[in-house]
Amino acid sequence: MIEKNSYNFSNENENKLNDWILKFPRGQKKPAIIYALHLIQKENKYIKSEHIDAVAKFLDIKKIDVYEVASFYSMFELKKTGKHTVSVCTNISCMLNGSDNILSYIERKLGIKLGDTNEKFFLKDERECLAACCGAPMMQIDHKYYENLTTEKIDKIFDDIENEK
Amino acid sequence: MKNNIKINELCYATLSKENPNSYETYVSIGGYSAWKKIIANSTKPKDIIDNIIDSGLRGRGGAGFSTGRKWSFIDQNSDEIKYLVCNADESEPGTCKDRDILRFNPHALLEGMLIASYAIGAKVAYCYLRGEFIDDVYSSVKKALKDAYQNKLIGKNILDSNICIDIYDLIGAGAYIVGEETAMLESIEGKKGFPRYKPPFPAEKGLFGCPTIINNVETLASVPEIINKGSDWFNKIGTDKSAGFKCFSVSGHINKPGNYEIPLGTPFRDLLDLAGGVKNNKKLKAVIPGGSSVPVVPGDIMLETNMDYESISNAGSMLGSGAVIIMDEDTNMVEVIHRIARFYYSESCGQCTPCREGTGWMYKIIDKIIKGQATLEDFETLKSIPHMISGSTICALGDAAAMPVESFIKYYEKEFLSYISKKT
Repeated sequence: MIEKNSYNFSNENENKLNDWILKFPRGQKKPAIIYALHLIQKENKYIKSEHIDAVAKFLDIKKIDVYEVASFYSMFELKKTGKHTVSVCTNISCMLNGSDNILSYIERKLGIKLGDTNEKFFLKDERECLAACCGAPMMQIDHKYYENLTTEKIDKIFDDIENEK
Repeated sequence: MKNNIKINELCYATLSKENPNSYETYVSIGGYSAWKKIIANSTKPKDIIDNIIDSGLRGRGGAGFSTGRKWSFIDQNSDEIKYLVCNADESEPGTCKDRDILRFNPHALLEGMLIASYAIGAKVAYCYLRGEFIDDVYSSVKKALKDAYQNKLIGKNILDSNICIDIYDLIGAGAYIVGEETAMLESIEGKKGFPRYKPPFPAEKGLFGCPTIINNVETLASVPEIINKGSDWFNKIGTDKSAGFKCFSVSGHINKPGNYEIPLGTPFRDLLDLAGGVKNNKKLKAVIPGGSSVPVVPGDIMLETNMDYESISNAGSMLGSGAVIIMDEDTNMVEVIHRIARFYYSESCGQCTPCREGTGWMYKIIDKIIKGQATLEDFETLKSIPHMISGSTICALGDAAAMPVESFIKYYEKEFLSYISKKT
């Protein structure tokens, strides 16, 4: 029987995952869940149910164990997202340095509201402090740090991304 | 005075060098000599632990507990497998000090981890980085690990001594609660980050059920130099009970935001001067001296306070992680606590009812206040919530959510009331 929508790890990711498992005591299968989900998300931008199934199968654990991790940690996206994830920090140090204006500017620029996505960009509703408080206001795009933001800087950052092939 | 402050001499010692995070740079300032000395002399683990106790080093992650005493809780005579975990899940709002150690001086951390592992008898150590560090911070740590392995300072048969210690990097996936040490153990075990009941404490039953010590990045990165220069050297810096250097992340309304590593006990005034003073020549209204979890302190009190555990405690707050958030005279304190309350509401893991419900209640009432929809009765309800959370939860997140709300109301009640009276 052919399983519908099944997902298989690439050889490269399988090797990476097998190496990662070596970090843990023999027989411990769950510790690799987070890393496995990172590998999938990097490749697919967000995590679908077939990915959860594939991780469970690969690690020989229950699907619910994988789903629990995927749904608990805020970096894992379970809904379709655009190509790039934009996280604007609006926690306290950034807020004191005008991050709310920065966020509105980015919303207008990308034409999407906080938490929404289009094909190219996903504007994540980031609630955590991203640990670059001395470079406030700041954001991450695909977890790359951009600090001391101004509207001019933001224009340039997004222009550069638009011009990428 | 400020010219006399010694800055960036310990965890940030490589920052002034070219290629601060390279193996060569670290070695050029005497890096790995403490570790090599321990191996060459076969130093007794107990002597290292005593040394760290005598130095007065206290946990730099927030709790401020004696590092050496924490290590001493591991039963040296037990045959059980033991683990060291480095908590690099830096996520307390306002805190960005560890990120700079990880990016610019990762070898100091690795050397500290090796010494700590040796002292507690761990053959495996994990460095758990927050997921959002997955790009440049993680690369820096991975590179450092690779170089240290290549130079035979980590791994099997270290420097032909028969000592084996492996250090593995791990990466999280976004959850403030995982900074809580037992939640971190759950996360390493591949589960959601729910803090564990204590006792048993991790030193007795920690990672994979084995005795485990969890230390903060800055704490571990402070260790090699204490071994090199001696506990007396460290102990003489700072005050009686707050020894040594501490990294402070100064952010908010400040001219030169940045991480400053200074002796504990330095007057807040001097730190403020070092960071260029309040932005736009405005007056200082308030300071959160140790990350968003600690009570706010009015500016006039803070200006008379020194930056050590005891002085800040006397000022009604806590030194915490060393995140110093500066607020100028025009700051709207209701907006600030609204943002802080939103954070704890989002990050409560939901395991304990008082925290799960209480953080939601607090945020929703403050949100109502800020929208001009709250009544005095709502405000009275808000005032009653913090002490219903404090002390009734498994971990400290509940207290961390309650303390700021309580302190903002204590000092800035009028600002809350101005929103409420606007309604009528």
